[in-house]
Amino acid sequence: MNPFSSGTRLRDMIRAIRACKTAAEERAVVRKECASIRAAVSDNDNDYRHRNLAKLMFIHMLGYPTHFGQMECLKLIAAPGFPEKRIGYLGLMLLLDERQEVLMLVTNSLKQDLNHTNQYIVGLALCALGNISSAEMARDLAPEVERLLQFRDPNVRKKAALCSIRIIKKVPDLAENFVNAVASLLKEKHHGVLLTAIQLCADLCIISEEALEYFRKKCTEGLVKVLKDAVNSPYAPEYDIAGIADPFLQIRLLRILRILGHGDADASDLMNDVLAQVATKTESNKNAGNAILYECVETIMSIEDSGGLRVLAINILGRFLSNRDNNIRYVALNMLMKAISVDGQAVQRHRATILECVKDSDASIRKRALELVYLLVNESNVQPLTKELIDYLEVSDQDFKADLTAKICSIVENLSPEKIWYIDQMLRVLCEAGNYVKDDVWHALIVVITNASNLHGYTVRSLYRAIQTSGDQEAVVRVAVWCIGEYGDLLINNIGMLDIEEPITVTENDAVDVIEVAIKRHTSDLTTRAMCLIALLKLSSRFPSLSQRIKNIVTQSKGSLLLELQQRSIEFDSIIEKHQNLRSALVERMPVLDEATYSGRRAGSLPQAVSTSQGNALQLPNGGPKTVDAPLLDLLDLGADEPAQPNSSANSFLQDLLGGDILSTSTQSGTTQPQKSGTDVLLDLLSTGSSSAQNGSSTVDIFSVSQDNKTSVSALDMLSSAIVPTTQPLPTPGGSGSPIVDLLDGVGPTPPVPKDNGPAYPPVVVFESKALSLIFNFSKEPESPQTTHIEASFSNKSSEVYTDFIFQAAVPKFLQLNLEPASSNNLPANGNGSITQKLRVTNNQHGKKSLVMRIRISYKLNNKDMLEEGQISNFPRGL
Amino acid sequence: MTCSILNIIFFSMLWVHLLCLSIIFFYLQYYLNPVTMSIRLNILQIHFVLLISRQGKVRLTKWYSPYSQKERSKVIRELSGMILTRGPKLCNFVEWRGFKVVYKRYASLYFCMCINQEDNELEVLEIIHHYVEILDRYFGSVCELDLIFNFHKAYYILDEVLIAGELQESSKKTVARLVAAQDSLVEAAKEEANSISNIIAQATK
Repeated sequence: MNPFSSGTRLRDMIRAIRACKTAAEERAVVRKECASIRAAVSDNDNDYRHRNLAKLMFIHMLGYPTHFGQMECLKLIAAPGFPEKRIGYLGLMLLLDERQEVLMLVTNSLKQDLNHTNQYIVGLALCALGNISSAEMARDLAPEVERLLQFRDPNVRKKAALCSIRIIKKVPDLAENFVNAVASLLKEKHHGVLLTAIQLCADLCIISEEALEYFRKKCTEGLVKVLKDAVNSPYAPEYDIAGIADPFLQIRLLRILRILGHGDADASDLMNDVLAQVATKTESNKNAGNAILYECVETIMSIEDSGGLRVLAINILGRFLSNRDNNIRYVALNMLMKAISVDGQAVQRHRATILECVKDSDASIRKRALELVYLLVNESNVQPLTKELIDYLEVSDQDFKADLTAKICSIVENLSPEKIWYIDQMLRVLCEAGNYVKDDVWHALIVVITNASNLHGYTVRSLYRAIQTSGDQEAVVRVAVWCIGEYGDLLINNIGMLDIEEPITVTENDAVDVIEVAIKRHTSDLTTRAMCLIALLKLSSRFPSLSQRIKNIVTQSKGSLLLELQQRSIEFDSIIEKHQNLRSALVERMPVLDEATYSGRRAGSLPQAVSTSQGNALQLPNGGPKTVDAPLLDLLDLGADEPAQPNSSANSFLQDLLGGDILSTSTQSGTTQPQKSGTDVLLDLLSTGSSSAQNGSSTVDIFSVSQDNKTSVSALDMLSSAIVPTTQPLPTPGGSGSPIVDLLDGVGPTPPVPKDNGPAYPPVVVFESKALSLIFNFSKEPESPQTTHIEASFSNKSSEVYTDFIFQAAVPKFLQLNLEPASSNNLPANGNGSITQKLRVTNNQHGKKSLVMRIRISYKLNNKDMLEEGQISNFPRGL
Repeated sequence: MTCSILNIIFFSMLWVHLLCLSIIFFYLQYYLNPVTMSIRLNILQIHFVLLISRQGKVRLTKWYSPYSQKERSKVIRELSGMILTRGPKLCNFVEWRGFKVVYKRYASLYFCMCINQEDNELEVLEIIHHYVEILDRYFGSVCELDLIFNFHKAYYILDEVLIAGELQESSKKTVARLVAAQDSLVEAAKEEANSISNIIAQATK
């Protein structure tokens, strides 16, 4: 073979790619390289494998597909030498992610490398495992990593500690195995080890309540001392950053103290002194120092109250807020938001500064500040704050206006002291940013206007002025057109003048002019024009002298291509012309709109309106298979698209997985020993992926025996109950002998199947979470005892509507599931109304096994995707 | 297909089943919602590291949370659009999709790290600087070209600084020492290979 066949060196390839003038040229170079690499891959070329992989990584970074190189990584990792392994692991981390099944193949190599004598190879393996480990790799390799936590070299220990974080995040059940090892790591002096051990400790505390208690008791004092030493330590060049000894370590110490001190007065007491020391002694002229102070403030806010410290913390934030560095101000705003709940008064003191930040030139700061102001507004300061915000609206950036407007509208709506103020503020907002105002906001404004009967004249005159100056804002035009239509007579005659108003002279013609301009404006959309037509009709009755002119304007829309406008125009034209006697009765003033009903309906219907439009766009019928792209989702979509066939391939993949082992293990009955191991496997099988700690009770779940059977004989009880026919009650006072008798009973003769009427089963709440509950109603047809009809009904326990509601279920192989379409995919709030969906389950092992089902429920809550999963095992016996 | 590959490695059928099943469940979890898992554990975790040049070219990417290939390129596109357009004096944080991206510009390169909303942004700035200083020492006043032609070295160094999105070492000296030690291992292996091939070449003359 020609040694030069594998092409150019890495450096040359990069040069060639960089020399490309156009994207097309670059593609050509990459294509050529890829071709030669592919050739090398298929030749199984050993000499240049590492170079090829390096090239592939570069190509990958440019965004080209490189999946054909994945196996090369594995080969390099399996090679004996360090250089090959190094590049192999790098490629593995870069080209693959944890979801690729190829990754499974690397588990063995990783295991070998974790036991390698060369510490650097161990380091490589730990690093790879830490960065891309999947749950099952984590499970397989956890013992190795655990052992490496005690490795002689500290650099391996620290890598093992971080790797453990990944492991316990993937498989939280393993957390307890690491607790002791971490406790001893926390006593070390090596900064790297200490740093990583603290992080592992923090993760353990979050995952496991027990670990938290343990560390709180055993380690709080030690950690406080470490922090004290770190704060007071002399200059150490190796860890020094801007005159501060290892800020990273200090920050992590503060963070773990926060976790330990949160909700525990004793632990909080222990750390008071050192926190005060950090807060007062840390230099704040460099970023590193500020990072520590920031963390310290957060810790002070989170641990149990100690008044003095909190004052200190708020003062630090005050200093941050007046800092000239944008980063510092940003984090100050961020932290003040959290501080509001702790000490609202203290935050209010900084109101003026915060308000200034809303006007900052930096979008990130503006956004934070606006959020904060929004939280700061209350009845007493709403007027000045709103004024400030609206003033700023005039000069703010275009892209900030939408956010700002929404917030102002919300403030004004919620906190307005009186109607005239509300109307004034809304008019100002409409004039400044009418195009950013949402429809419901100006609808609400109109409702308020109709209710304020003493302000009708004032409002319509203000609007008349507003439309003269801000006729380009759609929302102003609409509200003004509506009001002029309703209250045009008040506008002309200056009726209901308030003291603060300046009188204006508006003729009838002027009023009609406004509408005419609006309807002819080319930017006006359908809604505005339709509103204009109605206003004109109303005015034709209010100003009879202008009837002819108005009629002319109305007829201009007769030829409109928009059906709505055309129809209105023709109908109104005939009303004006032929039905003058009726007209004034037809176009009387609108009755007052009820505010309470409107706001109630608005709150209820708003999310629905949003969601229905999305629902239509997505066309997501419940369980509909066509819209779901992900092949794996199809797995859970069993039976929705076709009658489930027990042995058919792709679709029942999951069923196979679930079913295969249930079958194999449950047939070996008789002695206790194999059964035990069998159920363990079952337990693993059915619980993989779910994070909760599983113990013996889950085996009970599987066979759907009532939950209280947790005695030592429960395994046998269970077995018998699974086999014994349904009508026979389970003997619960389990003497050691009786279950075995039961067992034999069950195995002996074929259980008599109740043939007559399908027995009645009570409805069962099979799934319940904070957000929703799911009830199954069962029914059976007498002629086919194997088939159970289930009517699932979902109800929503929250106060928000769920949309795009999808229910999916998967069953083991011995069951067949048919899922019919659901009654709806919107689930109304507060349990008033439910979705029902019919399921048909056929149990091929009827009388021997009970139903079991895994479910997934996904829905959108306020446009956020929510997902709930669970396993149903409390089916009534004998289904 | 999957199973047949796996069979080669793992003999027990049972084992394979177990693994497949958990792959599926985890896949599902992540496929639908790539990063929610780590949000719940709200401890500083860097979700990804990006190095983008002034021209929007990617110089280094490291993903600690699972993102599919498609999502990755989308993330990069979105972020370069946001970050490269920001003015010089603005703060170094961008809020993005419920996360925060902390970035810092060094010469022509933007170093970006994505963290959770409630994490310590200032510390991440410090981590970025830590990494840059280590790069600087390793390459001797590092420039973009160094990182282009020796991108793998940049990755090796990053792997000594971060694992699983968490900081691994706060001493620059230690990192430098570890990287150097591994480099020399590679050199030694190369020399050995050369000398062997020389011997073979001479023997076959």
